[in-house]
Amino acid sequence: MTDASVTDTYPAPTIVPLGDSALLVRFGTRLTDPANRAAIALADLLESEPLAGVIEVVPSLVSVLLRCDPLAATDIAGELRLRLLSLGTAALPPARDWTIPVHFDGPDLDTVAQTLGMSRADFISQHNAQALRVLATGFAPGFVYCGLHADDLIVPRRADVRAAVPPGTVLFAAGQTAMTATELPTGWHILGHTDFANFDPGTTPATQLKAGDHVRFTVAT
Amino acid sequence: MSAIVAITRAGPLATIQDAGRYGRLRDGISASGPMDGGAYRMAGALAGADHGGIEFTMAGIELKLQSGQCRIGLAGGSFVARHNGNIVDWPGSVLLEEGDDLAVTPGAAGNYGYLRFDHALALPEIMGSIATSSRARLGGLEGRQLRVGDVLEMVPSTAGASMPALPPQAEQGPLRFIWGLHADLFEPATRERFANASFAVSRQLDRMGVRLEDGEGVFADATILSLVSDAIVAGDIQILGDGTPIVLMRDHQPTGGYPRIGTIITADLDRFAQLRPGSLVTFSPVSVAHARQILRSQQP
Repeated sequence: MTDASVTDTYPAPTIVPLGDSALLVRFGTRLTDPANRAAIALADLLESEPLAGVIEVVPSLVSVLLRCDPLAATDIAGELRLRLLSLGTAALPPARDWTIPVHFDGPDLDTVAQTLGMSRADFISQHNAQALRVLATGFAPGFVYCGLHADDLIVPRRADVRAAVPPGTVLFAAGQTAMTATELPTGWHILGHTDFANFDPGTTPATQLKAGDHVRFTVAT
Repeated sequence: MSAIVAITRAGPLATIQDAGRYGRLRDGISASGPMDGGAYRMAGALAGADHGGIEFTMAGIELKLQSGQCRIGLAGGSFVARHNGNIVDWPGSVLLEEGDDLAVTPGAAGNYGYLRFDHALALPEIMGSIATSSRARLGGLEGRQLRVGDVLEMVPSTAGASMPALPPQAEQGPLRFIWGLHADLFEPATRERFANASFAVSRQLDRMGVRLEDGEGVFADATILSLVSDAIVAGDIQILGDGTPIVLMRDHQPTGGYPRIGTIITADLDRFAQLRPGSLVTFSPVSVAHARQILRSQQP
């Protein structure tokens, strides 16, 4: 994981309308490390220097959503292209470092380790070896995607969807580790659970982890 | 003077709503807010409301004013309202005295109706809003739908007196949409058929989404695509793996990975939300500029 800068060679973005009240700036159509870093950097840039007419900026895995007032007559796409020119040299926002203990007691842990041809202990050790980046918050309140794992730690999703897993479930698929903060359905493998609560609607901000933060998973004791 | 309303009958999925919990997508929370924003605003104008109100579904709702005095604005779809047994205008407004009943029963059209008050609902704001999110299970009353026995306390409003509201626009015709994020992943022939076929609103509809029946099989051969998760907006028309189109509504998930062929324009989304199961719909593509022009022409 290299976070020093977005590099000069971030993927060329496309700007597409999402209905009449939003634009999406996409740095690709599949999840890659450079595309994710570019999305986080652009969202940060637009937060520190807001564009007139934009009322919400939301980074996702490889894109940034700009919600705008459909009744305002501002040329957001034009201004946005100018901002994108300065993105190539923009540094990623200062990352905060988190250590999150995980109870590796999930029902899919052995299946995942076997699929990767590892022992359970080796898998846990390799899973925790590298700090990961919070790639995005999405799908559900406080749900975070962390990644990207090395190529030898990639497994596809499960064929079945579990109807409900509790908050604090630690999930694994597609080169990522994800954490739930509310009860939700999932087709990802369950590695275990954490006591870390990322979402509390009574606090400001309601979520603790932010895209771009660094997360190191450890074995809970 | 404060007022207290007690819910004496609640149809399914009646919720507290306000204009919406906007700005929280970063936390993974979509805005919620009224399914028919125009009707919500109209009920507010009829009551002289400041913010907040009750959204109820096809089955209606009944309440009793336990104390105080309160004007209630009524709008959305076509329902039958009775004040102490006497039918009152819909849309309209009614002044309730202590002990009065208001009963709303199913009418000729619409999925959602609104009751708004010349008082402010005394409910805690969650992240700046009292809107109930059925997805995130927060806002309103403990994030849940209203039920019999719920008591709503209200405090005097800071808003102005009630004012006449514009009648809802009786817009007909195709639902206008803007080609979506993944429109290019569909074959040109499929796109053309989508813009010419008719679909039926299914019985599977709620605040998160409305499933459509694709009787002409436009998406029958749709292949399951695995897409990177991207931002969703209300009105997005996504095609599930089995070819079922679903229109994502106010309590949509904030991101998703199913292909989206288009987005219903803001000006047509309220009207779509009110279409009952069995209603036939067709879709007509427009430009972003045209969609905004239509929206401007709807403003009072």
